[in-house]
Amino acid sequence: MARSKSIRAPTTASLPSTLYIPSTSPSVSKSFNKLSRQALLDLVFQWLDDNNVESFPPYLERDQVENTDPDDEETSPYPAEQTIDDVRNAYQDLQDRKGGKREVIDRVLEGDWRHGITLRQLAMVDICYMEDHPASLRWTALELARLDGVEDTQTDDVSVCLPRIHASTFLKNLQQLIAPLVKAHYHLARSNSLPLTFLRILVTNSPYQHPRQQPEVLMDSSRVIYIAFPDSCPYIYTSISSAGSKTSTSATTAVGTDTRSLQRIVRDAIPKALSRPQERYTLKATSLSAKSLQALLSLRGPSRSNAANGAFSIFADAVVEGSPLDPRPANTVLPGEYMNRREDGKENERTEDGDTKNADTHIPKKRKLAVHSRFGTSGSLSSAPLDRFDVRILDSPSGRDNQEPSEDSQPTLSLTFAGNDVISGIRKLAELGIVDAERMPSWMTGEEGVSVAVVHQGKRVTKDSG
Amino acid sequence: MESDLDSDISSIRAEIRALQSRKRFLSSSLLSSDALQKHLPNPSIPIPPSSLESQSQSQLAEASPLVQSANTHSESNHHRIAFSTTAFPFTDPSPYGSSGRGKDSEKEHEKNLLGVRIDVCARNGRFVRPFYVLLKRVTGHDGQRRLRIHRHTIPAFISMQKLERIYLPTPSQTADQEQGEGAEEEELKPWKKKRPTRKPDLHAFVRTLRRELVSWQKRHDAIGLLREKLGVRNQDPDSEQDVFSDVKDGGWLPINSMGLASLSPTALEARYVRLEWEDGRVGRFKLSNTGMVERAVVIGDQGRDKMLEAAMTGGDGRVESMLDRLEQYTTSQS
Repeated sequence: MARSKSIRAPTTASLPSTLYIPSTSPSVSKSFNKLSRQALLDLVFQWLDDNNVESFPPYLERDQVENTDPDDEETSPYPAEQTIDDVRNAYQDLQDRKGGKREVIDRVLEGDWRHGITLRQLAMVDICYMEDHPASLRWTALELARLDGVEDTQTDDVSVCLPRIHASTFLKNLQQLIAPLVKAHYHLARSNSLPLTFLRILVTNSPYQHPRQQPEVLMDSSRVIYIAFPDSCPYIYTSISSAGSKTSTSATTAVGTDTRSLQRIVRDAIPKALSRPQERYTLKATSLSAKSLQALLSLRGPSRSNAANGAFSIFADAVVEGSPLDPRPANTVLPGEYMNRREDGKENERTEDGDTKNADTHIPKKRKLAVHSRFGTSGSLSSAPLDRFDVRILDSPSGRDNQEPSEDSQPTLSLTFAGNDVISGIRKLAELGIVDAERMPSWMTGEEGVSVAVVHQGKRVTKDSG
Repeated sequence: MESDLDSDISSIRAEIRALQSRKRFLSSSLLSSDALQKHLPNPSIPIPPSSLESQSQSQLAEASPLVQSANTHSESNHHRIAFSTTAFPFTDPSPYGSSGRGKDSEKEHEKNLLGVRIDVCARNGRFVRPFYVLLKRVTGHDGQRRLRIHRHTIPAFISMQKLERIYLPTPSQTADQEQGEGAEEEELKPWKKKRPTRKPDLHAFVRTLRRELVSWQKRHDAIGLLREKLGVRNQDPDSEQDVFSDVKDGGWLPINSMGLASLSPTALEARYVRLEWEDGRVGRFKLSNTGMVERAVVIGDQGRDKMLEAAMTGGDGRVESMLDRLEQYTTSQS
């Protein structure tokens, strides 16, 4: 029997989803260990589902025939089951009783998938972990913009400003673009909780279909790139940290094989893969990166709050006034009621409790009004948690200068805020009177919706064009 | 025991809150009702003191600010319902004004924004959350004051940059002046070379924007209507957010004569609708702003189903009657 391993030719195909990684490898069990017991069981049931079981076949008794060493099988704590239904029942038992996740992992790795875990299964584990831990990665929002000025000629349809993304076509294009340089494994998944589609790309530098690398290389988290496509908006989010399009010039001179340059190749290929003839796109930086996907969705997402934050969040949340059929004058209704008029019950209770709690801390009414007028609903009712906020202030320290910002000669002041939710933290400070709500500049209220800002005379300067 | 009491207290509190908000609702309905407004003397006309008893007069004096506010509120509501697009002033609370440059007097001026509110009525007779555009006045280099979009709550698939470029262009500037401007002005350059500067037209801007928003709502409603015809239980009329939430849960349509298994918009903008049949055929069609089925594609195991596509786009082409055409086609086939 000819082993496929004996023929190793470099190809441009993507890494197959069925590429097995030995279950004994410590990095596999490490990555399984990150999941909770319930998430693991859910994943296993997904693998054993009638539609999927072909792609993730478990180890059954009939596979044992090929095995040369029966003694080894007898000593295994997990004897191979006879049918797939038996495997399902075994996990159903685990589901019904309580216990640690260790027994589930052991059963998967030493029992039913002892022949190896496929790349696709690993990708699913990673995506599952990301869904459970939304703050595990740092996301950067990028804007898809037309490279050419052609769009102005077609003025009839304003709402067609975004490329339609057909997942498999996009993947095919992307694969074509990066295949000569990068060998990759792709996994597409729809988010369960957010209006997003995740694309996980694992990049390697080996040109071979079945690389003879250590399994650790295929599991190295620095080789994994995540790209999230939010629905109906011209933005994409990536987990690639370095956001410098200028570095692409150096890539043309020498193509490195380290993970960073592989990532850069993928990043540069994304807008090209989205482009079509007569419709070329480029990625523009949007000065926003955050750990929370929810924040990205509300600041660079499909909804209403993209360009209305800080003081203007009252408009985004439509708490200024009700519908025109509402007979109540707007000043008699609490903003929380407008927001929660559709989901009464618990939600309503919660916010009202929050309001009474705020009142208990005895904030002077004038300050409370000022805080409300500056921050609107951001940081209280609606929140886009930024975990990091960098500001560079170009004003001269003497306070006399009224000139245009000149970056070279003057000393500048850089501020970095970090925390769980910076904007609501500043709001708290304003409520406590530490920050003067009336005199503070508007970037402190999160009005600009960015996480990196250059400020001159209290106003964000947008000099960098990308 | 204690937790029982706590839950009792919280449930009673919730009831009190519900009743209070109901009372507020009823009293403001009553105050703004036509019958009451007619019977109350107009507060702007001074009432001769001798004509009324002192007690009722004091009651009136107490009620009049409430009546007045109810009056103005119902008036503004009438405007919003009748004209759908209304303007309002808004003052930017930022101490630096909207552009941050210029002198103090100018800053004061810049704080005043022009708000445009667009109310769109949905199929169930309710209004969706209003859309807002806030415009700032910017002094151009030729000394003219121009309106620019400052903040807005328009969903991202309607490109405000494009609308602004078309309807609220800034006059062309000389090259050295342009350098001081931001990145958006950079983008304008290729466009400006091609075309002479158009005059800014706020009315056309608002008209186009409103048309886009209304046709979005109409497309959304049309798909809702189709789903309702197919027997999807109408969700809570108050929930305007996600009428198609069951689609994502993998919900299937009730069994129907056309063999349709699912019908849902592909994305938020509800431009394309995806169809799925029980026999595995999939299709999608494009909805035009006027409610026509513009294009349709159906693909089965044997390739394109052109007859079915023709049935979808044929007839009067309206989206509302598409299911009738599909049904007719299915019965004629079998």
